[in-house]
Amino acid sequence: MSPNESFSQDRLVVGRSAKMRAVFEFVDVISRSDSTVLITGESGTGKEVIATLIHQTSRRKHRPFVAVSCALFSETLIESELFGHERGAFTGAIKDRAGRFELAEGGTLFLDDVDDVPRSMQVKLLRVLQNRTVERLGGTRLVPVNVRVLAGTKRDLRQMVADGSFREDLYYRLNVLPLTLPPLRERREDIPVLLDAFLDRFFRARGEPTPDISPAVVQAFADYSWPGNVRELENACERIAQTNTCGSVRVGCVAPHILFRALPAVSPEPEIRTAVVDAGPVSLDDRLKEVEASLIRWALDASHGNKSKAAALLQIKRSTLGDRIKHCGLGSRASATREEPFVEAP
Amino acid sequence: MVTRERVEAVLARVRPYLVADGGDIELLEIVGTSAVVKLSGMCATCPSAHMTLHLGVETALRDAIPEFGSLRVA
Repeated sequence: MSPNESFSQDRLVVGRSAKMRAVFEFVDVISRSDSTVLITGESGTGKEVIATLIHQTSRRKHRPFVAVSCALFSETLIESELFGHERGAFTGAIKDRAGRFELAEGGTLFLDDVDDVPRSMQVKLLRVLQNRTVERLGGTRLVPVNVRVLAGTKRDLRQMVADGSFREDLYYRLNVLPLTLPPLRERREDIPVLLDAFLDRFFRARGEPTPDISPAVVQAFADYSWPGNVRELENACERIAQTNTCGSVRVGCVAPHILFRALPAVSPEPEIRTAVVDAGPVSLDDRLKEVEASLIRWALDASHGNKSKAAALLQIKRSTLGDRIKHCGLGSRASATREEPFVEAP
Repeated sequence: MVTRERVEAVLARVRPYLVADGGDIELLEIVGTSAVVKLSGMCATCPSAHMTLHLGVETALRDAIPEFGSLRVA
């Protein structure tokens, strides 16, 4: 069976893009494995959905799937949540309680937001993953656990290891089978497919037939940047299903921020390289020229090549900008840009 | 200053979607820092679409023209 067909419709893991097909193929390949999977992806890219899919395709599918967000709990609570506690371990611990590891016995435990696990807790997690035993808070007995661990992170753990905020040994323990979920903006061809699938689901939930979707709506969805990824698109579709009154999905059903997405935001100023890397002599003139050229490029990009706007951004006169462009040798680039704005043909 | 040209420039960004759906947005007049527009098409008669478009166009106008006051739909 092909994984992208068998799960795409019912489980809403939808995607025809090359990047998603690669994800589905990877999930298929690792379905017979019991190794830890590290799922990296921005918020809303569907880490938990993929974790569920991995569980469902594994031999453990008839055993529990337990998902827990490590970001939800305070440093002290997370230990009790994951490993459980014995009665009297702390104030309010009135009875024995199994942790998520024990609850997932025989099945899969999805540790989402593993990048939010405090450093002090990371070592305890590492021990559990190595020894496959948990010790309840306040307990003395080691409980063996047979759990397949999946971890989710929105940040690049390797970078966090480099920063010193994530333990290297835990990173290697988690990063056995790495899986990266692409942000929606990197698989734009999936947007219409997701739009259809979600609208279908939400209208079905209302007991209504899915109405026609106008091409303008499809276009608006295709043009939007989706910073919140699939989750944002899902919510946009729910909104459409809840507010539609005319039996066909038109632009008026689309959330205003998607339809009238703000003008492209002015990108932040470029980083200026000021550090002196080697001990050799530095030409101040050359370095200043680099800085100047970099700022002019930024201003021209931010104003879409409009020199008057670029000059305003740099707080210099329009004529001065022309001189500076020549001075920095950016002539050919600047001449390819638009001269003046708002001059419409009569 | 809120001018016809600046308001029209913003409406021009919004218009293609509306036109593609058989609707339109027409600038009737500028009153001080505010503008009066007319919506047409199917979405003009749907209460939720009306609200969406009104708020959306008003926000887009305020983003582009900081001194913009309010939008009235005739």
